[in-house]
Amino acid sequence: MRKHPSTSGERASVKESMKLKIALPKIPDIELVALEGLERLARYMGIREDKIGEARILVTEAIINGLEHSGQKHPTVRVEFSMTKKELVILVRDYGKGFEPGAVEEPDIKKKVGSKNKRGWGLKVMKSMSDDFQIESGKRGTKITIKKLLS
Amino acid sequence: MDQPFALTSDLKDNCLVIATSGYVNNVGGEAIAKEFTRHFEKGTKKIVINLAKSKVVNSIGMSFLIEIIEQLEDAGGKLVFTDLDPAVEKMLAIMGLFKYAGKEPTVEDALRVLTSRK
Repeated sequence: MRKHPSTSGERASVKESMKLKIALPKIPDIELVALEGLERLARYMGIREDKIGEARILVTEAIINGLEHSGQKHPTVRVEFSMTKKELVILVRDYGKGFEPGAVEEPDIKKKVGSKNKRGWGLKVMKSMSDDFQIESGKRGTKITIKKLLS
Repeated sequence: MDQPFALTSDLKDNCLVIATSGYVNNVGGEAIAKEFTRHFEKGTKKIVINLAKSKVVNSIGMSFLIEIIEQLEDAGGKLVFTDLDPAVEKMLAIMGLFKYAGKEPTVEDALRVLTSRK
């Protein structure tokens, strides 16, 4: 019989895949709820601390992007993690008005210093820190899919 | 779950040392910028930001630090980050903040660098 993970520091097998799905409304710091789940999964899977740190930032930026830019009065994002010892796939979907990702200007620190708008770094951070980054956006919302290698 | 944001500040060798704990989001970033401004207006132009106890940050919170860099650039001052989590350090590098700010392993190292500047 397969032993289920319970407590007492059991670790996942190499082939094991874990999924976590969660829906988050826009309330302050709600992204921390997703991070709690991510960290528990990652520790169970035995993922290195440096990789957990980068995954934390990717998840945070993807959720904030969905909640900030959906354009809805009461936005909700759906977050899904799919994790093996080798990789993490993060899927974040909002149901807002969408946007044209290609029209978003890449931020440059030299331009930001001295300009009024110092924000707008989320997409650049996600693209740069991930191993694969896909964004699909349309009138029915935006879906971000991020792959992060963990070993 | 990460603890709520808090900061402490201290003046050492004419340098402002801000140490944060918890999640540096927009509220945390703004609080750091306000604390900096309070001291900057009194003439402090050398600043250390110790992020040892902030393992979770977001880019909105970090964008407030660009305001600090901006004011220091105009005044000939300097910002140094210390005790960075590797992922946070990577994020700051992606944003290009190290083109304007320094990074050192500890507050003591940062103070040594800043006090040796004219």
